[in-house]
Amino acid sequence: MLKNQIARTILGRLGRALSVGFWVMVISFAIMRIIPGDPASARLGGVEEEAIAELRKQLNLDGSIVQQFSRYVIDLLHGNLGTSLQTGRTVIDIIGSTLPLTIYLILFSTFFAVILSIPIGTSIAWSGKAPIVYTFRGITAVILATPNFFIAMVGILIFTVRVNWSPVFGYEPEFPQNLKYLWLPVVVNTLIMTSVVSRVIFSSVVETKEEEFVETGIIRGVGRRRFFWFYILKPSMAPTVVLLSYMMGTMLGATVILETIFTLPGIGREMVNAVLTSDYPVVQGILLIFGVITVFLSFIGDVIAYLLDRRVKI
Amino acid sequence: MKAKFAKFKEWLLLPGGFGIFTGLLMLGTMILLGIIIPNFGPYKPDEFIGDPFLPPSWQHPFGLDQLGRDVMTRTFSSVGIDLGVAFLGVSIPLAIGTVIGILLGLAKNKYVLSLAGSLIDGINAFPLLIIAVAMLTFLGSGLRSVVVILAITNWARYARISRTRAVVVSKQNYIEAAKTLGFSRRRIVLKHIAPNVSSETVAYALSDFILVIVVVSGLSFLGLAAKPPMAEWGSMIADGRAYLAQSWWLVIFPGLALCWSAVSLSFVVEGISRRDRGI
Repeated sequence: MLKNQIARTILGRLGRALSVGFWVMVISFAIMRIIPGDPASARLGGVEEEAIAELRKQLNLDGSIVQQFSRYVIDLLHGNLGTSLQTGRTVIDIIGSTLPLTIYLILFSTFFAVILSIPIGTSIAWSGKAPIVYTFRGITAVILATPNFFIAMVGILIFTVRVNWSPVFGYEPEFPQNLKYLWLPVVVNTLIMTSVVSRVIFSSVVETKEEEFVETGIIRGVGRRRFFWFYILKPSMAPTVVLLSYMMGTMLGATVILETIFTLPGIGREMVNAVLTSDYPVVQGILLIFGVITVFLSFIGDVIAYLLDRRVKI
Repeated sequence: MKAKFAKFKEWLLLPGGFGIFTGLLMLGTMILLGIIIPNFGPYKPDEFIGDPFLPPSWQHPFGLDQLGRDVMTRTFSSVGIDLGVAFLGVSIPLAIGTVIGILLGLAKNKYVLSLAGSLIDGINAFPLLIIAVAMLTFLGSGLRSVVVILAITNWARYARISRTRAVVVSKQNYIEAAKTLGFSRRRIVLKHIAPNVSSETVAYALSDFILVIVVVSGLSFLGLAAKPPMAEWGSMIADGRAYLAQSWWLVIFPGLALCWSAVSLSFVVEGISRRDRGI
């Protein structure tokens, strides 16, 4: 009975993820078409009719809108996102070669942020001293309101210009060498993410502290470690997981800027290059991938939060 | 006067009062400097006045940039552009989203509701910066495009909040009472539902303002919004990036101004939310 209930809830959430995923696909399809004017002639300028017609065909802009959409969906199902107008590589290939770096960047930052946030958030909440709490609130508010590119610039100024710990630009894909290019972007991301996550853990622990079962735990003399994990941390896990999945999506958006600053060959920089060269199929394909990943992340985050705490509405 | 001051002190000591006060003071200072320095200062933002890369001095507190322009004048003449574009980028979606949300909250047609609901979720699924960058490809870059794009995409976040709120409000007892009294539907929507919904969306708009400032300056940083020689924080930082090793002042001062504005807003937002919760 209970298992049935869980399965039904998760399936319902999956259904919603799929319907949002469908709209993500429609929006990526529509983005080239809702804007007044013809992208094909805009790109080519005033050249002869045949070249424009050829490009319209290549961009799937010929025929009725229904035909265009059905071709788009069929191509998608075949894993075909079109080819770059600039390099002639397939968009799938471009995504496959640039996405992994971006994903590593985000996963490492998330990992370090979680490791740092748990002790910071809980210890500050537990101490409850006003000056410490205000300092914590102030510092995290400043970090969160600062654009990531400015934090990155200050990081470069300190670690590249003053002490030569990190190269100015470039990248080497081999494992041990690449760390010297990656550590600073990971630090910038981790700093931002830690500020958000430790705030949520902080306020959730402050709430938990007031609850009766915590006092009962203290009176009963529960072991220190057990007390920490089950009484203090467990209730704050569900909101933290939801937040992490949301933040990973935001961080994905922020890579557009971060990878441009650090000249890392990830998907964000690829997108900026495609925008600057009007490479429509690449922009469209990367937009779709970003949307799909975000929908997937929020689905996974909601499901894990639900499994941790059944009272969570998803 | 004394009574007024005592009242102010009392207000300040309530939860969040100090945050709201500090935030408004910081924001006010920024706006004031943004009016005074470009209009009454000795230099123009795109006037060449001296040696390129002149370090900060008493005469030029923020130094001169790569073309010998006064960085302080440029930094403060961006206040109007950045805050102005961000203001449009928040207020237009706020208006559109609130109205659409209220209409959806009151709509009965199941198909319209599920269609609009999933369209809103679909738009919200994309990180704001990503969908803005993608649309700029087709609209052409520039500040005007940024405002248009924010109007097209950002309304969906407001519509979601406004719709949820409208559904809750329309079930309240006082709406029931107004209906029983025979008030017209129009009066109920305009006088009773709209004010209650918009208080919520306006509160969100304040925190959205921070996000939009960062998006606008971020797009300029990528070279997609404000174009040189226009003085704008994001593009000034992008320009100064190449000279970071020798001339840090080209990047740090516009960056600090950007930070200052965003932090002042975040103090206000946090203060208001703490006052609402009473802690």
